[in-house]
Amino acid sequence: MFGQAILNDNLPGAKQHHWSPYTDNGGTIVAVAGDDFAIIASDTRLIQGYSILSREQTKLFKLSEQTVLGVSGCWCDVLTFTRTLEARMKMYLHEHLKPMSTPAVAQLVSTMLYHKRFFPYYVSNIVAGLDQDGKGTLYSYDPVGHCEKNRYRAGGAAGAMLQPLLDNQVGLKNMKGGVLPDITKEKALMVIKDSFISAAERDTSTGDGVIINIITKSGVEVMHFPLRKD
Amino acid sequence: MKGKGCVAIASDRRFGVQTSTLAMDFQRIFEMGPHLYVGLPGLATDTLTVHERLRFRLNLYELRESRKIKPQTFSAMVSNLLYERRFGPYFVEPVIAGLDPVTWEPFISAMDLIGCPNVPEDFVVAGTCAEQLFGMCEALWEPNLEPDSLFETISQALMNAFDRDAISGWGGIVHVM
Repeated sequence: MFGQAILNDNLPGAKQHHWSPYTDNGGTIVAVAGDDFAIIASDTRLIQGYSILSREQTKLFKLSEQTVLGVSGCWCDVLTFTRTLEARMKMYLHEHLKPMSTPAVAQLVSTMLYHKRFFPYYVSNIVAGLDQDGKGTLYSYDPVGHCEKNRYRAGGAAGAMLQPLLDNQVGLKNMKGGVLPDITKEKALMVIKDSFISAAERDTSTGDGVIINIITKSGVEVMHFPLRKD
Repeated sequence: MKGKGCVAIASDRRFGVQTSTLAMDFQRIFEMGPHLYVGLPGLATDTLTVHERLRFRLNLYELRESRKIKPQTFSAMVSNLLYERRFGPYFVEPVIAGLDPVTWEPFISAMDLIGCPNVPEDFVVAGTCAEQLFGMCEALWEPNLEPDSLFETISQALMNAFDRDAISGWGGIVHVM
């Protein structure tokens, strides 16, 4: 009654071992798509358990002048997935003699993830960029490739914490007269900065710094700002 | 949430079992005094039981002491009640909000299911969408909010958070003291 543990692992001879191929390396990604721009940002902290592996590891991968991919989750899967994706994009370029457009990349990411449906990449993906008409687009994914086109998305470790804030400030949800006009670049940047500052306060795996990629027709602009290091 | 000379406490109204909603008017915030409220999110049967046992102890306190209880003392009382059941706990995570009956000082606190108290200066959250609530409150809260602003802030924090949780929602209720 008092001393019985539910799982008694002190039985003589028997010991329960458990090895997992996955590990959680943290990382949070936030992205917002406007009329003629797309912004995607990630924190720069890489963790394992309660230890910090790096304070300067970005989770954003520039795929082309119009497309940036943000990936977080299990870092080994992040690296393999992005390398395989970049190889596939190079093959496309050689076969079609033109770089992959953002919607094409979006579809490729989905199929690549689903190919590993029964041993998934443990990653949270967001593809941000400009489509062929120059309009900002955003696609978000689950680990097995379910794809959804969004105007704003928060993914990764602090995704659950930040998504409602984006709903409120970018989507104007639960606000009187809240009809979704296209958000300006300045307001989007402010909301993203505030989101990361809030996430760094309350989530242990988010902090150290934020890298922001702003994708416009003139290319990809990179910004960085620091976060709390504790 | 704490404000300037005021506190606010809010909850959703859904009562359900996984995917089934059984009520949309479930009360989980209870008035323990004219300026003292306790919220008991978690297992509904324990919500009701803890409320009743707490009311019992509070009534005895007020009869013996002939005065209204301070929120800090009430918080200690809740903590004690929960820790008595350390190895077979009540599955509730109380949130307390009140004003000192003498000085009108705002007070908030929260506890885990075995009574570990947390007494911060800004806000406390509990429930199935606690992560979402943390994100909203951290971004929206600022110190020294007047009652009307505090109401707007806590309402937006609650609504946008529970809109991202499948098992929370169906309306909210806010008490501002």
